[in-house]
Parts: sequence; C-alpha cells; structure tokens
Amino acid sequence: MATYLVRRLLQGCVTLVAITVVVYALARAMPGNPLTAQLGEDPSRKVSAADYERMQRAYGLDKSWPEGYLQWAGNLFRGDLGRSITRKQPVTRLIGDRLGPTLLVSGTAFLLIWTLAIPLGLYASARSGTPDERGVSLVLYALYSFPTFVAALFLQILFSVWSKGTAWELPLFGMTDLPPDAPLAARVVDVARHMILPVVCQTYVSLAYDTRFIRATMAEAVRQDYIRTARAKGAGPWRVLFRHAFRNTLIPLVTLLGLSLPSLVGGSIIIEQIFTWPGMGRLFFESIRERDYPTIMGLTLMFSLLTLLGQLLADLLYSAVDPRVSVE
Amino acid sequence: MPSFVSQMTVRASAPSGWVGMWAAVVCAAVVAAGCGRSEKGRLVAEPEAPATPATTAEARPSVPAEAAFEPPPLEALDRDATWIDRPVKDALAVLREQQAKEPVLGTVAEALALKNDSATANATILSALGRLPEEGQADLEARIDRHVAGDLGSTNPILISSSAEFDILGLTGFGLFSYDRTLEPFANAETVVSWQTSADGLYDKVVMRDDLVWSDGRPITAHDIAFTYRVIMDPRVPVPAVRSGTDQMKGVHAYDDRTVVFFHKEPLATNVWNINFPVLPKHVYEGTWEKDPTLKDSPEHVALEEKPVAGGPYEILSRKRGQEIVLRRRESWSRVNDRLVREQPYFKDIRFRIIEDPNTALLALTSGEIDEMILQPEQWTTQTVDDNYDRLNTKATAPEWVSFHFAWNIGTPFFADRRVRRAMSYAFDHDRMLEKICLGLYEPCAGNFPPGSWMAGPKKLEPYKQDLDKAEALLDEAGWTDHDNDGIRDKDIDGRLVPFEFTLLVNQHPFRIAICTLLKENLEQIGVIANVRPVEVTALQEMMQKKSFQACFSGWGSGTDPDSSENIWKTGEMRNYCGYSNPEVDRLFAEGRRELDRSRRAEKYARIQEILYEDQPYTWLFWRNSFYGFSKSLRGYAFSPRGPYHYSPGSGSLWKPRAE
Amino acid sequence: MAAHGFWIEAWRRYRRRPLAMAALGFVGFLVTVAVLAPAIAGTKPVLCRYKGRLYAPCLAYFDRRFEPAIFAKDKFRGTYPKNLAEKDPESWAIWPLFFQDPFRAVRADEWPGRPENPSMDQGVPSRAHPFGTDQSGVDVLAKMVHGTTVALLVGFVSMGIAGTIGILVGAVGGYFGGWVDAVTSRVTEIVMCIPTLVLILAIVAIIEKPTIWHTMAIIGFTGWTGIARLTRGEFLRLKGAEYVTAARAAGAGPLRIMLRHILPNALAPILVPITFGIAAAILVESGLSFLGFGPPPPSASWGSILNGARSNLAMWWLVVFPGIAIFLTVLAYNLVGEGLQEATDPRLREARK
Repeated sequence: MATYLVRRLLQGCVTLVAITVVVYALARAMPGNPLTAQLGEDPSRKVSAADYERMQRAYGLDKSWPEGYLQWAGNLFRGDLGRSITRKQPVTRLIGDRLGPTLLVSGTAFLLIWTLAIPLGLYASARSGTPDERGVSLVLYALYSFPTFVAALFLQILFSVWSKGTAWELPLFGMTDLPPDAPLAARVVDVARHMILPVVCQTYVSLAYDTRFIRATMAEAVRQDYIRTARAKGAGPWRVLFRHAFRNTLIPLVTLLGLSLPSLVGGSIIIEQIFTWPGMGRLFFESIRERDYPTIMGLTLMFSLLTLLGQLLADLLYSAVDPRVSVE
Repeated sequence: MPSFVSQMTVRASAPSGWVGMWAAVVCAAVVAAGCGRSEKGRLVAEPEAPATPATTAEARPSVPAEAAFEPPPLEALDRDATWIDRPVKDALAVLREQQAKEPVLGTVAEALALKNDSATANATILSALGRLPEEGQADLEARIDRHVAGDLGSTNPILISSSAEFDILGLTGFGLFSYDRTLEPFANAETVVSWQTSADGLYDKVVMRDDLVWSDGRPITAHDIAFTYRVIMDPRVPVPAVRSGTDQMKGVHAYDDRTVVFFHKEPLATNVWNINFPVLPKHVYEGTWEKDPTLKDSPEHVALEEKPVAGGPYEILSRKRGQEIVLRRRESWSRVNDRLVREQPYFKDIRFRIIEDPNTALLALTSGEIDEMILQPEQWTTQTVDDNYDRLNTKATAPEWVSFHFAWNIGTPFFADRRVRRAMSYAFDHDRMLEKICLGLYEPCAGNFPPGSWMAGPKKLEPYKQDLDKAEALLDEAGWTDHDNDGIRDKDIDGRLVPFEFTLLVNQHPFRIAICTLLKENLEQIGVIANVRPVEVTALQEMMQKKSFQACFSGWGSGTDPDSSENIWKTGEMRNYCGYSNPEVDRLFAEGRRELDRSRRAEKYARIQEILYEDQPYTWLFWRNSFYGFSKSLRGYAFSPRGPYHYSPGSGSLWKPRAE
Repeated sequence: MAAHGFWIEAWRRYRRRPLAMAALGFVGFLVTVAVLAPAIAGTKPVLCRYKGRLYAPCLAYFDRRFEPAIFAKDKFRGTYPKNLAEKDPESWAIWPLFFQDPFRAVRADEWPGRPENPSMDQGVPSRAHPFGTDQSGVDVLAKMVHGTTVALLVGFVSMGIAGTIGILVGAVGGYFGGWVDAVTSRVTEIVMCIPTLVLILAIVAIIEKPTIWHTMAIIGFTGWTGIARLTRGEFLRLKGAEYVTAARAAGAGPLRIMLRHILPNALAPILVPITFGIAAAILVESGLSFLGFGPPPPSASWGSILNGARSNLAMWWLVVFPGIAIFLTVLAYNLVGEGLQEATDPRLREARK
C-alpha cells in the first residue's frame, strides 16, 4: 500500500509537470497577450512600439514560452505563484478570495444533488418501468433541458421582483449586503439567503444526470445472480436494493464522485455571472479573456491537484468498496 | 462642489463609448463528463475608440526624463514669454449657465409621469430632470447606487485602463484640467487659481490653489505634478498608455508649491490635452517607486492598492472584490481649517455595484437596487416600456460620438481596389440595418467626424444607400466577374482564379453579428461570399493589430480632438488596421495639429473626411446613441457627446432631491 | 458468425420494448427531417423548370456549390418566386412545404402577397410562423428544421469520437492494469486538466476557416475522459468475475473478452454520459460557434436559437421550442440507451432462453 502511494505520488508529480507545460504552452498560444487586452480596453491612449516592447519586457512577455514556463516553475518551486498581470494582486490572494464563495455554493449544491439523487435513483430503479417512475424521469429530463440562464432569470423575477416586500423575497444578486463588521449571525443568515437561488440553479441541472446514473448502475446490479438469489429467498425490493445491490453500484459512483471533486472549486461561470457571485468560475473566465497567464496557471495548478487527488482517492476507494479490485 | 470629472478621460474617446458594450455575451463551452452546458460570460467591448493625439513622425526620445531637461529660472521664463490667460472655470457654474439658456420643456412632475417613447418625451425628461439643484434642493446626505459591469484592476491613477477604473478614479483622483459638455477644455477652478499659455505655445503655467489636501492630510502641491510626470516617463514603469501625450513635453517643473510649468516640444493645438494627466501623491510614492517600478509588487504598493491616497472629492471607503466599491465624500476636500473652501459634492456616498449580467442589472434597476445603468438598445425598446419599469425608473437617450463600420483590409487582393470597397458600401442594405437591427434608434454614419461637430466641416456627406446594380457594375469594372460559371465572382490574380470569398471578423455580440449577417446576405445576392466569424475580443484585437484579417466589423469613439483620428488613418500607424495610406491625409493631419486657428484647422479635417469618403476604407454604418436608465429619484443628468458622466461636471452633476 | 448472431438477437430483444422503439422512431424522424430539410422549409424551389431545363436549387442548402449558376447570371439575387415568373413565364416550380428561410428573414412580397417577417418582440408565434421569428426576423421553425442536421451530426459524431476513445482507453487500462493502466490513467488526467476554453482559443489562432467538423472534433477529443474513467472502473471490477475467468480458461483472446464479456456488463454506467452527451453537444456547439469556433453565422442550430433568447426573455418562443426539441432528444437518446443496454445484457439473454 505504502509503495503504491509513493509510486502514485511520483507519477502525480510527472503528470502535474506535463499538465502545466501543456496548459502554459496553450495559454501562450492563445492570440494576444495581457497587454493586447489592456490596450484594447483603453481606447483613448495609444502605446508606441517602443513603450509596448518595454512593457512586454517588464512582464516577461518577450521570452519564449519554454523560458516563461521555466521561470514560472522556478518561482513555484520557491512557493511563489506570481502576481496577476491585469489585477495587480498576488495570485494566491486572488484565488484565496474566491475559493470560499465558490465552495459555499458548489459544496451546498453538491450535497443537495447527492442527497436528492441517491434516493431518487433508488426509487427510480425500484419502481423501474412503472408510470410514476416514468413521470419522475420525465420531469428530471425536462429540468435538464431547461437552460440555466432562463431558469436563473425566472427565479430572480419570481423571488426578487414579484415577491419584493413579502416573506418570500430573496436577494437578486451578490453575496452579502451587510458590512463586514455586522454581527456574525446576521451575516451568516444574509449570505445563506443570497446563496439560495444560485444553489438551486446549480442543483437542478445535475439532478437528472446523476439520478439517471444511479438508476442505470442499480438496474445493472439488480440483475446480478446473488440479487436474484436474495429475491428468490423472499427479500422485498427495497431490502434487496439497499442490502445487496447498492453496494455493487459503488464503483461507478465512486468514479463519478472522484470526477466531480475538481468541479467543486471550479464554480459555474454562468451562474456566478448572473448572480454576481464572486467565485472561481468568473475568475477563471476573466483571466482567460485577459490572458492573465499567472492567474490561469495558478488556477490550472489548483484544478489539476484536485483532479489528481480525486482520481487517487477513487482508486483507493475501489479496493475498499470491492475486495475484488486490487490497486496494486 | 462635486463637479470633478475624470481628468483621465479627457483625451480621445470616452469610456462611455464602450461601457455600453460590456454586455457582450460570450458562450464559453465547458464540456464535462456528459453534461456540457453552454456558459455565458462577459466580454469587454472591443476597442472602439482611437487614439490619442499627437503622434508625430518626428523621432521621440524614449527617455526624455527631467534629468536631461534643465528648466530655466522662473524669472527668465516670465521675462521672455508673453503669457495669455486661459479659462479657469467652475464646471458646475458652466453647466448651470448652459442650462439656463435652454428652454424649459416641462415640469418635474410632468417629466416623471412621462413614458420615454418619443423624441419630445425624451427632450422633456432631459430638460426637466436634467437640471442642477437650486440652493438647498439637494439631499446632501444621499447615496447613489451606480452600476458597473466589471471590477477594478487597479486603483493606482496612472495604471488604470478599464471603464470601471475611469469611473471611480474620476471621483477619487486629482487633476488640474477638465472639459465641459461641448468638450471645450478649461482649468478647474476647484484646484487652479490661474492658467496661462505663452504666446508661442511652448509653455503652460499653472498656479494651483493652496487649500488642497490629500486624503492623508498632506497638502497637494505642484511638486506632486512634476513628480508624477517623472514617474510616468520613467522607462521602468509599465504605465499602459498614459505616457502618450506626456511624451510630447520636454518636461514639467514645479517652481514652488503652487507654480508648475509644462514645457512643450512644439506649439501644437493638442498641447492642451497633453498637460492633462493623473497625479500621484509624491510623499507616498517617493520612497517606494524606484524599488518597485511596477508600482504593484512590493508590500507597500499592494497595501496602497487596497487603500489609495485620494486627491479628489471622494475616497474609497470599502471594497468587496467582485461585488462592490463604496466611495465616501471627503470632508477635507470641501473643508480646510474649518472653512468651506469648495462646494460639497451632492452625494455623501457613491456605491458602485458590480453586475456583469445585463438582465440582472435591469432587474436590479427595476426593483430599485441600483439608481442608474446603461441600457442595451434591445432593453430600451422592449424591456423598459412596461409599468413595472416605470414605477421607479425613467430613461433618457442622447447622441454619442461613437460610430461603427466595416473595415476593409486594403492589403488583401479583394479590397485593394477602391471600386471594390465602394461596391461593398453600395451592396449593404443600410436602411434595413437602421430600421430592423438598430430599431430606428441610430443615425446613419457617412464619415469619420460626427456631423455637426466643428471638425466635420459644413459640407454634409451623403450616407451610402443600397444599390445592388451599382455595386455589381463597380465589381465588374474592377474585374471581379464570374469567369468559371459557378455563381461566384472571381478574378485572375497572378495566373490563379481567386473566388471572391472573404472572412468578416466580428466581436461575439449578437447585435453586431446580426449586422454582419445582413451584409453576408446582401453580398450573396451579387455573387460574393462573406463568411462571418465571431471572435473573442482579445483575439480580434490581436488579429487586427497584426492585420491578419480581410474585413472586420468594429467601432470607434471620436476623440475630443480630431487629431486623435490620426492613428487610424496615417500611413503605418498602429490603429490603422486597414493599412490605409494616402500622403495627402498624412500631410493634412500633420498640418492640422500645428494649426492653432480653429476654423483653419476645421478645413483640414473636413478635407480629410472628404478624401476618406471617396476612398471608403471603411463602410461607415451608424452613430450610436447612449441609452441610460435612471431612477426617478435621480436628477441632474446632462448628456455630452460622450455620455452623461465623462466630462465635467458629468457624474458630479447628479443629485437626489431632499425629501419633502 | 457469433457476433452476427449476437446483434440479431440484441435487435430482436430491443424490438420488444415499445418505449425504446418509440424513441428510435423519434430519432428516425429527426434523421428524415434532417435529410429532407430543404424540401420542408426553404425559399429555393425543390425542383423547377427554367428556360427549358430542370434544376433543383434547394440542394444549395446542403452545399452552396449546388446552386445552379444560371440564377446568379440572371440576377435572381436569392429570390426565386418573382424572378422565375418574370424572367421565364413558361417556368414552373415545386416549392418546399413551408416557404421560409432558415438563414434570413423573408422580405415583403417575396412570396406574392405575403408580408415581411416580423422581427424583435413582434415575432410571436402565429399562423404564418408557428414557432415565431427571432430578433432578425428569421423563422424559428425553418431554423429548427435545418438545425436538425447539426443537432444529429454534432451529437453522434462528437460522442462517437468521445465514446470510442473513452471506452478504448478505459478498457485497455482497466483490463491490463499495471504500467498500461498507469500510462492511460495519466494521459486521461492530463486531458482532464486542460481547460477547454484555453484549448479552443489556442486553436482559433491556428484554424483559418473553422467548420462544423472542427467543432465536433473538439467536443469529441476533450469529452472522453469521464467515459474512460467509468469504463476503467467497471473493467477493474469485472475482470475478476467468474465468467471472465471462465472465458479466459476457454482460450478467448483479450480483445474478445473485453468486447464480448466485460463490455456488455459494463455498459450501464458508460451509456449515461454518452446519451446525455449527445444531447448536451447541441448546446456546446452553439457555445463554440459563438466563440468563433464552428459554422459561420447565420447558423441554424437549436442552440443558437436559445442563445438569441439570452438578451430578451420576453421572446419566450426562442426558449420554448428549441427547449422542447432538446428535451425530446435527451429523452429519446436515454430511452434508446436503456433499450440498448437491456438488449445487449448477456444475463437477460441467457435467462430468456
């Protein structure tokens, strides 16, 4: 086990290097650089060719991408993720500022999705093929096909405009309306109220997918021989599902959970945008648009670490949930 | 007095030109395991405005620093120069005077009851609600909630570049100069005692007031201005573009705490804009800037980003990143040694709320969470007409000096020929665009300078109208006929039959794409294929700069000075994306800058405009209006050719009435 | 021979599921609509006789080059009904069922006596335009009919690519394990970590004229990682199963074991991302087009109609109709997926016998 872990960690380091090299090269291959974006934003002033070159030097943009990468990696080795070119702030600060709000929404949504999807999926597979199961599935598919931007706007109108002044009123946008020195309890309530609509929007889309996924894996498990044996012995459908079948669906579930770990901190661009939620999705999107290489790389590094961690955890869990699978 | 305008926006096109386009919608696709959803994001508007004045062909030393420049003693200067007094004005008083001459079209109550659905209604609303307050009418404890579409990148006055930064630094920054609603420059009476220019046009002398303090209590002096000039011109400091303009000066020297003289290299008509640059507090940056010339890496500079020292009427009170910025009126601006030295700004607090999504912003306005926002044309016509909107809000519109066009890359085999470019202009269905896509809200555009402005000249250029027969005739004449009988025009170029098929780049904005699509449809009718290609804004900018495009849809805001158009048209200039080159135009621009008499200057620019009209390097399309939604509790919005905010007093003229 | 029998058997079992058959029928309907799109909605005659010869200008909707040059020569300028009658009184034409263009607004009197298409919020669904018109006045029904091609093509091709790569990589890694698994897993992780948006923008710089095929390739080549991970997990679990050991003892090669014995048992979780992915690709495609990565606008795709609704939700018909189409497609694909899974399930097959 220990040797396996050591081997995986070593592999992980190599993978990380490979990922960062590829992403850095791609980022530098995107047309334009941080200055293009800045020049584009500033219509009133022109930069002379000499000034432009000087600024490129100041930000290290005159170097080729391998050089730039080595410099970035060297700084990283010393524990420095660099500073955002467009935002004049250390990348770690930027990420730190955004991490909390994103985790708040996607973490809550994540819990909500799974607490809803597992029972729904079990229900659907227990009642597979019956009209009520078909009905539930239809509703979920319909939700899945409902574009987030429409749903978000609809909810905003419903809860923030029409319900204004009633008990149903929810904040339209933002994360908090209170100053930072307000009492903690009031701030918690305020943030929680701001969170509701974004969380709902993030939840409903994934619900159909995850429910369907659980149902598919359950349906698969139900057909196994030992289930038939259990059923033949007279066990009820729910008992069969919980005691025997559910365990067997754990491998695909663990895989899916491992895959969704990075998305926890990824945030959703569209939802953060509509609700002006100060999260990672917006940061990533903006840093790409501004060609802010240090921020892009900092975020990539974080996503990659989480992805690798998610995969490693999934692999370790495989052997835990199914003794037939060995990690070695 | 709140009439402090962003001195930063004096030059060339105002941010207002492009603020309206922040709403550009992008779809970024995110493919996840099985559940890819399209994602939406904000895009900054594409660069839409030119350029700064005065980029002469003359070689410029890149380090003109003060070290190399020896200022003469003040006595010698005063002895040799004949000083001519220049205007020192109170911006609010100027606006008040201008408004006093305008007819009163209705009462406040009438205007508030109106729906803005006609030109008359719009005029009434602007006339009645746009007035400045009478004595005691304004609620000086009020707060305004303004809308911005994006967060600040920097709060350092010389590093700013985005629209949100202009908006906020216009209120917190210190400056000597401004310009009014008709874009006439003057020195700000709030900060300046006198402003004189030498008769030979080589020096500007400013005597500052002695009752100015930074937000940390230290006095604002002439040394701050000279110091800032030195920092801006230092080659190690990566200021994006503030340097263009200042680099036209030999130096800036502070003779004492109050007297500062600007030394010009040449007597240019544009010098009046060059002396206007943002100002840093010398005592704050003196010890830090040379250690960290990026001005943002060292711990001191990081701390300053958080809490900058303000010289304007407002200072930053608090900031929630990605959410809001709150400005608080600075008591030390209006009150020095317990004496009221300047009128108080009308708002105690200004809260900028960041909302990227235009739909959310409109809901926020409708429900009263923000007091103003820029409306999209589609929002203006369809989403702000119901009673729900009317309950708390009204809206207003005014022409703006922002125009849009198709740019033809003259370096390609297609558009090198003037006849082909004119054929394009004839092929396009201008009327349909104006009526169906622009919803009848915009005026057609025929040339570079805004009609009615002094630089456009007296002769009115006739906008192109669709005439497919003429377009086909011009193409035939230019040799683009269908030789190989496939329905598409082609031409033999160096022994190869080249079909007339080109790519039309456009920023991913549905409205702009619709205009390009119309051109595609029109051209298809005469056997020319245009492939419309929406491109992300930075990529578009890059492709245009590298001239790796064939045709492109874009826009410019006209500058306060016509000279700012030079870098669009002069041979080899950076923003001359079309690769246009005409020695006569080059010469006229150079002459125009040196001509100090306005009417003779105007002739030169009118001539340039005529030449451009003949050559059609652009197919000019329309002048865009600015559209604003305002809370009914808001008063005092007066529009300039660059919107209601970006002039002096601009945003400082807004106020809220005291509760009865 | 055995494989042949396996699929015949699977089809026989598939046919017994009415819902799955209905779903397949719907997909078939979409294919028919896609193929016949120019005859269903369009402004170019399906067939016409002009100056003594027969032409089928409607084929131009498939490819511009199919438009007969004679109409350009005779300055038809894209409008047929009037010009045909004026320039050759003898001419006749068979028109599409629905005279509306998916790419442009039909102008006044283009079809004699018909008014111009309404635009902006005037375009509410009506008798002339059952699904309404969009901001520019383009008929939504015509757009959706022609968009079916894109919806089908993008879904199948991109998920075909993603499914093939994902299953292959996952199966090989999971079955062989050891260093093979280490390599395939690491490659999967690398692809997983590359931000799609960065990749797309980097490619935008290289590709001069992007087409729909590039879009499909991008979706396919970035979307396989989840499928690979799921497949690998299932293969890890199933490679130790009794029937696999038995097959191996019976001398079956690894390829046969993977495809015939493990894959059918592993299909359930893998089909979910694929079936959802086929439908999601429709939305992703419109997002990519908007980034300058796809067929040039005006593109008639369902996703692009939805995008039009972003700026103005008062035009509800821009959400409802493409929304329903996407919903039905998600539903149909899922039902087909379920049916497929049941039909190929080895245990059920044994049981029924």
